Amino acid sequence: MVLEATMICIDNSEWMRNGDYSPNRFQAQADAVNLICGAKTQSNPENTVGILTMAGKGVRVLVTPTSDLGKILACMHGLEIGGEMNLTAGIQVAQLALKHRQNKKQQLRIIVFAGSPVKYDKKVLELIGRKLKKNSVSLDIINFGEEDGEKAEKLEALLSAVNNNDSSHIVHVPPGPSALSDVLISTPIFTGDGEGGSGFAAAAAAVAAGGVTGFDFGVDPNLDPELALALRVSMEEERARQEAAAKKAAEEAAKQDVGEQQPNSQDVTMAETVDAGTTVPENKTRDLMDDDNALLHQALEMSMDDSSSVVAVRDTDMSDASADDHDLQLALQLSVQDSTADQTNQTDVNKLLGDQSFMSSILASLPGVDPNDPHVKDLLASMQSQSEIKDEDKEPKEDEKK
Amino acid sequence: MSVESVSVVPRSQIDLLDFVDWSGVECLNQSGSHSLPNALKQGYREDDDLNLESDADEQLLIYIPFLQVIKLHSVVIKGPEEEGPKTVKLFANREHMGFSNVNDFPPSDSAVLSTENLEGKPVIVKYVKFQNVRSLTIFIEENQSGSEITKIQKIVLYGTTVETTDMKGLKKIEDH
Repeated sequence: MVLEATMICIDNSEWMRNGDYSPNRFQAQADAVNLICGAKTQSNPENTVGILTMAGKGVRVLVTPTSDLGKILACMHGLEIGGEMNLTAGIQVAQLALKHRQNKKQQLRIIVFAGSPVKYDKKVLELIGRKLKKNSVSLDIINFGEEDGEKAEKLEALLSAVNNNDSSHIVHVPPGPSALSDVLISTPIFTGDGEGGSGFAAAAAAVAAGGVTGFDFGVDPNLDPELALALRVSMEEERARQEAAAKKAAEEAAKQDVGEQQPNSQDVTMAETVDAGTTVPENKTRDLMDDDNALLHQALEMSMDDSSSVVAVRDTDMSDASADDHDLQLALQLSVQDSTADQTNQTDVNKLLGDQSFMSSILASLPGVDPNDPHVKDLLASMQSQSEIKDEDKEPKEDEKK
Repeated sequence: MSVESVSVVPRSQIDLLDFVDWSGVECLNQSGSHSLPNALKQGYREDDDLNLESDADEQLLIYIPFLQVIKLHSVVIKGPEEEGPKTVKLFANREHMGFSNVNDFPPSDSAVLSTENLEGKPVIVKYVKFQNVRSLTIFIEENQSGSEITKIQKIVLYGTTVETTDMKGLKKIEDH
């Protein structure tokens, strides 16, 4: 999403009549130009693109940098092939056109289609490259068409003179069955220096690769944009949640014994994958769970002395979870076994703590906040036998929570 | 340029570093690894090993906008004896200049730095030309030895602020 002003230098010299790219070199170039313009304007609405031709009677600016895609595409019509390409003049005029752009905050880029032979010295090209670098202009070179041995070398020399932090690229496209634009799509020229392909480029790549079915989620963004958007948003949310869960699992694992770690993190991630598909309400419960966690920890600490109460909590858990799926039930059964296995004693504090976070992580995956309140109330009810001090501590916290 | 041999900046002049609008600071032809903050930012500029270096050739064009209007009194440019800057041109309130149009306007002031200046002696500027400065452009045309790369260790700007309305401080008058 870099804010950029781009000038595209088209080669419309006699060499472009050749048919070694389908349908002919010039047409392939025009298609590539259309794709680039689309990608640039889509990746950032404030991006501007301009076009000039390097051959013909002389260097001619067809359209100055503008964000109006229609205008850009319109000027590609009726272009005539002829003359010889003037690379140096083309680049210099492009630089001048960029200098007079309206939005001074844009970064500058020139894209050159070098189809005909390059008749300039390496020295001259390097000088131009250095001048571009001095004015912080990046240069993308597309080397296609004529290949006379020195051309690639010269263009590489030009690139190394311009290149600043890998912001400039060169692509060599040999003649072949695949279209020029298809080859370009996978290059950094399209994907914007490794930021990740814009949605436009990705969709275009999918179309090029395998027909209409190649869209991200099996839904054509053009036919049903809302559905595609909804799917994309839920994917991102799911990903964010999984990252948060993984982070939480890592934190919890760091806090506890190794023994309890694995079932813990496994269950957290299992619970997460189980809940795939639901979106916003789940996020809310996770946030609330963090607050509840502390309370639950406290509550369960209090129930340490009383194994039966712990089991009672487990039972209520299981009844709630029964509405959900088998994985959760399995996990809960495991936890019940764990709690019955160790007897109530102060020395097994760590194991119980492990269980309680284990249980709280299961609770977290249960939809809605309400089950937690009844749980806490159950805990309180079952802990009538506990010391009053602990109760007093509990109540003010409950008030805060409410 | 001023003929006085003042080696200490008058106490009324303050270091204008706090008034620099960092979001708009630009430097053309700087090297990627040796960039402008090395010479401007507090801490970095004190370190003589951290320099601002030029890249493709020896010229540098530094654009510094300010958060409010200031008056510029003097400038300290510190650099190594050989590759330090020699001819320096200052432009007040010219936005977004490039190397191509830098010689189209007469500079607000220009200076040829001596070895003493490169060691830290301040260069007093023509105060009358810098009364109302919103942005400063420093154009380094050549360096002391004519080498390919110009190096600058430290740039300090001294001056005073002008009473400007702080829009954020304006509060709406409540109607009763």
